[in-house]
Amino acid sequence: MQKKSIKVTFYLLLAFALLLGVAGCAPQAAPAAEEPAAEEPAAPVVEKNKFEGVELTLASMTDQYVTAFRVLVPRFTEETGIKITLDELGYVDLYQKLTADFVGKTAQYDLMTVDIVWSGEYAANLYTLPLDDFMARDEADLNLDDIMPVAWTLGEYEGKHWAYPMAGYANVLNYRKDVFEAAGIEPPKTQEELLAAAQQLTEGEQYGIALLGAKGSAVAQDYMAFVQQHGGSILDADGKVALNTPENAEILEFFGELFKYAPPGSTDYWWDQRETAFRSGIVAMMEGWSIARAGYENPEISSVVGLADVTAAPVSEGMEPKYGFGGWGIGINASSTQLKQEAAWEFIKWLASEEIQKEWVKNDGAPIRRSTLTDPELVAMYPWFPLMLESFEKGDGDYRPRIPEYSIIQDALGTYVNAFLVGQETAESALQKAQEQVEANTK
Amino acid sequence: MIQTFTQTIIKKFKADPFFWLLFPLLLYIVVIAIYPLFFSFRISLFDYRLTDPNQTQTFVGLENYIRAFKDPTVLISLENTLIYVAGTVTVELLLGLGLALLFSPETKLAQFVRSFLLIPMALPPLVVGLIWKSLYNADFGVIPYYLKQLGLDVGRGPLGELSTAMPAVMLIDVWQWTPLLMIIFLAGLKSLPQEPYEAAYVDGSSRWQSFIYLTLPLMKPTFLIAFLLRTVQSFKVFDTIYATTAGGPGQVTTVLNYHIYTVGLTFFDMGYASALANILLVMVTVLSIVYILVMTRRQL
Repeated sequence: MQKKSIKVTFYLLLAFALLLGVAGCAPQAAPAAEEPAAEEPAAPVVEKNKFEGVELTLASMTDQYVTAFRVLVPRFTEETGIKITLDELGYVDLYQKLTADFVGKTAQYDLMTVDIVWSGEYAANLYTLPLDDFMARDEADLNLDDIMPVAWTLGEYEGKHWAYPMAGYANVLNYRKDVFEAAGIEPPKTQEELLAAAQQLTEGEQYGIALLGAKGSAVAQDYMAFVQQHGGSILDADGKVALNTPENAEILEFFGELFKYAPPGSTDYWWDQRETAFRSGIVAMMEGWSIARAGYENPEISSVVGLADVTAAPVSEGMEPKYGFGGWGIGINASSTQLKQEAAWEFIKWLASEEIQKEWVKNDGAPIRRSTLTDPELVAMYPWFPLMLESFEKGDGDYRPRIPEYSIIQDALGTYVNAFLVGQETAESALQKAQEQVEANTK
Repeated sequence: MIQTFTQTIIKKFKADPFFWLLFPLLLYIVVIAIYPLFFSFRISLFDYRLTDPNQTQTFVGLENYIRAFKDPTVLISLENTLIYVAGTVTVELLLGLGLALLFSPETKLAQFVRSFLLIPMALPPLVVGLIWKSLYNADFGVIPYYLKQLGLDVGRGPLGELSTAMPAVMLIDVWQWTPLLMIIFLAGLKSLPQEPYEAAYVDGSSRWQSFIYLTLPLMKPTFLIAFLLRTVQSFKVFDTIYATTAGGPGQVTTVLNYHIYTVGLTFFDMGYASALANILLVMVTVLSIVYILVMTRRQL
């Protein structure tokens, strides 16, 4: 009787172990079968063999440049044999998935697009690999001096490079030539003129300016852009978060004033809706990243073809011109295997090369190199490149502080600036509450 | 000791083979539900941030829970959650019952309409939220367009105004989940015994009287199920809010679950987020117990 019971238990355990074993083996069996294929003598060049069969995963934000990835990634695979799977994610999803991947050290993604504002956090937590060793090794091929100085803010933090410059955006003012001509005024050069123009051009169903008002990162980033253009800062002289200053409250009042001349739904606008507002022709002006410009000339998605133009983003009266700079770097996961990291660096090097940068920009990527911005062929295609070059020269990549606490600041501003715009808070109380929320979450 | 353990298990198996048949399910529940529950309780007692490079977990006792009661957002979101639950559940119960009564006769039309009413339920809430968000858009949306045609001032749009954002979000929930209650009530109506109605008819009661004195009391168990199901679901609302307002404008549609999401997945403050989630869990559990007690006592 007792023996039998032991026997039964033993068989059960055995069956369980077998089941576990089968489950555990399955994923490992697959790569083993592929290995012989990697040894095929297809590639004649020795260097290529090193990475033959390496598979990387790239997590990309679904920004304009993702179309360039779709075109260029297969070309890279063809040239080097390194296979890259492209995973396209929205902004919020990308941030969350990457953080989960980094924290768990699961290395699901070997390469990732890194928003300029994440670089501080990634650096402090050692999520991405510092690229300095690679850069020193390959300095001869990189032509580093050609990369716009401001573009380094896309991934540089406290002297090391945590992401490589990939796509640089300049904050510019898009406006409607026809509307300004009809009103007989010039596009605004200062923030004060911007407000006056917005007021003057608002009439009936036609509005002065499109803004980002939706709760969350949208309204927070637009407010910070205006803080920059008014010469303010959300950090004090010691680098501490200081949202509730009288200057910032004044800028917030100005921001609220602008909303009077924006479409009524603006307090709900995310980037795409702001674009829709400009493209459908209901607004006269829109500040925004330089990347969407080409789309206005595409009649399939725009009803303002030939009517839009672009100029430098206006700064406050008497202020030294400085332009908001943003965009994306590309980083390598610090938890990936060394071989994958090497292969990922090959991709970054290839992508940032002068030759590929031209292709990158032609396929809706954004420039980082001086040679790209001054290339005669590209300037003929994109006549606003000289303006972007100037905006990059005087670019400020730090108006949204690239510090580890950034996402907490953004969330607090996202909630309370929106609350101010819909009349739930005054400018002072909104910034006071935002400051309190940041302090409560960063202790 | 192992021998005695196996012996008891064998004995149990002999006496009751169901135990073994249930075993895979029990194992599954332990892995999927019980373990995470205890884990979340454990980390709620720690100061544990995922973004902390050293991954330190400092034991802080009940500090996270104390912090929750001092957090102004928690109080606001709690209030919003209660408004949301009360509003959606009441409207859905009434509408669901009305629709069920309307479509309970087995006519061709009723069958046709019934199957169409099921579509909203089959859609993922996130998709529903995104569709409604574009319908509500103040400048390009269909709903404000027609409201403007009627001469109404839509202001910043249904989702943008402080006063209408919450009802607008609640309407989405009502649109999506009323059909579920209709189905539940239909099933309840179909399973009612016919004899009491015949007796009432013989006694000369009107249709209204049969409804009040027969249908409603007989439907009580169905009500309990529908009410509980929707209350608990409604407490946990997240997708719709996430897709439409992100808790805005300001904080008028920030429900507790959305706040937990912000703390957990934007700040990655896992300890505090778990504490908040546990508070929500306790509330839902207490409510469930109260409902069950009230409804069973009435039935006696």
